[in-house]
Amino acid sequence: MRGADMADHPQIIDDRQASRFLVPRQAFTSRETFERECAAIFDRCWLYLGHASELAAPGAFITRKVARRPILFTRDKEGEFHALFNACPHRGALVCRERKGASRAFMCMYHGWTFGSDGHLMSLPGSSGYTENFKTDPQKQMVHVPRMERFGDFFFISFASDGEDLATYLAGAGDFLKLVSEHSDSGMQIVGGTQEYAIRGNWKLLAENSYDGYHAACNHSTYLDYLKNANGALGATPLSGVAHNLGNGHAAVEYSAPWGRPIAQWVPLWGEEGKAEITAIHASLEHRVGPERADRIAHKNRNMVIFPNLVVNDIMAVTVRTFYPTAPDYMEINAWALAPREESEWLRKYRLYNFTEFLGPGGFATPDDVEAIEKCQQGYATGGDALFNDISKGMNRTDAPQFDDEEQMRCFWREWDRRVAMEEA
Amino acid sequence: MTDTISPGADLLLRLQVEDLLYLEADLLDRWQLDEWLALFTPDAHYFVPPNDIDGDTADPNQSLFYINDDHVRMRERVIRLNKVGAHSEHPRSKVRHLVSNVRVRREGDVIHARSSFVVWRSKDITSDAFVGHYLHEIVMSEGAMKISRKTCVLDMEALRPHARISIIL
Repeated sequence: MRGADMADHPQIIDDRQASRFLVPRQAFTSRETFERECAAIFDRCWLYLGHASELAAPGAFITRKVARRPILFTRDKEGEFHALFNACPHRGALVCRERKGASRAFMCMYHGWTFGSDGHLMSLPGSSGYTENFKTDPQKQMVHVPRMERFGDFFFISFASDGEDLATYLAGAGDFLKLVSEHSDSGMQIVGGTQEYAIRGNWKLLAENSYDGYHAACNHSTYLDYLKNANGALGATPLSGVAHNLGNGHAAVEYSAPWGRPIAQWVPLWGEEGKAEITAIHASLEHRVGPERADRIAHKNRNMVIFPNLVVNDIMAVTVRTFYPTAPDYMEINAWALAPREESEWLRKYRLYNFTEFLGPGGFATPDDVEAIEKCQQGYATGGDALFNDISKGMNRTDAPQFDDEEQMRCFWREWDRRVAMEEA
Repeated sequence: MTDTISPGADLLLRLQVEDLLYLEADLLDRWQLDEWLALFTPDAHYFVPPNDIDGDTADPNQSLFYINDDHVRMRERVIRLNKVGAHSEHPRSKVRHLVSNVRVRREGDVIHARSSFVVWRSKDITSDAFVGHYLHEIVMSEGAMKISRKTCVLDMEALRPHARISIIL
């Protein structure tokens, strides 16, 4: 049985001597592989749940699906954060049916069992019909997700009760999360309004696409045209940079680019008033973190994938994005904007204007990414001789991998392969 | 919107606004995008708020939207959609805009119109529906009605399975 599983499992081909890296297309289409991923990756890895700023006050809550499971993310009256499985211990109905809000108690609409923000059973109608210690029985409380940890203001959960702690798991990705947390001395917050969409394609295609510098010139030619036309939205800075292996399957590209960054890269579109403000922000940043780190924060763009499915893009705006598959050929995506807590109205306006320019279902670039991903998925139906995707670009380099090479994807796939193979062993 | 029904001038105004909205829908369905853009004032805006906040009151300068276009970006959107390199719309989708339940209210020089819409987009093997209501602000300019602001408030819980608003809603 095991032997047959191994033979069925689509292995990647990672031949460093021959600079050959091939990913079997079956990895994107097989139902069996999808089930393995759910067990090996989504049931085992640390997964992003939300940002502390989304639960700003005690009593705040959000309901969210994480890897197909309904989760209730709460902050109790003491200000403690909790991640609960959103299902009543009695008959299993969703306890909280609202998307977000503020409440110190959650009543199941089926039989009226009522739970506190920390999930404990506060009251239940007709309690005389139950045994004496029924209400305090651990089995009758809402169930906490086995593990929740925070890194700065980023909350992650794991459905596995064992395994490495979050900081160890994040490895080098931790420093990149810190970089986006340091944009402002007022801290960072999620701005209201979520982009919620879906792609009819395999989730790993979006992981790849998120830091694929190679596709920009062809796939996004009309976006680059737009920047040229749009009254000085394009600066003189060339596109250039490197890829980083951040460990544990996490990777990023870090590069300079011609678009404006509301943190501290000015473009003519923003005018003289904008120039003065950007100069002041940069000076304050330098004062706080030193010139070298300030320069990196302000002028370098970063696209990062934290394995398996958290994208933090620090580009013309700061985006936080997750994508979860519900089938081999379908994923659900949620995207949020991260911004300094305190920022001038002018800058916030341009930040959001920037975000919608490139990013999301109505932007000038994302729809073409979606098209590319869906066309890949459709192309895999051809089968035939080309059964592998080639992602060997830059593998023969002796210097640093470039942002438009494919080293970042190889980091992802090596970890994917290791985890899926582990599941079978 | 007023909830009383009165004959006369209000009715005529509604018919005029309906005519404009139907023309807009027809131009979009026929991919006459330059002509569509000409229906707008030079300082016009086009917005699509996200699904999880109140689209009627949301402010694009404070909340993340799907689409937050000033006139420059509307123009660039049209230029882009006319290019082969706009891969998401090449080949083009078939689109059909259905507009109904048009209500109008005059406030000073601005006519506020609220209407229901369904937009179908079909391409390849898929067909997606966008459902919601339009909020149009209309002004008189050189004797003609021009749109100064269009907000498309989606009624879906999320933009699924659509993946993109690559057409103009």
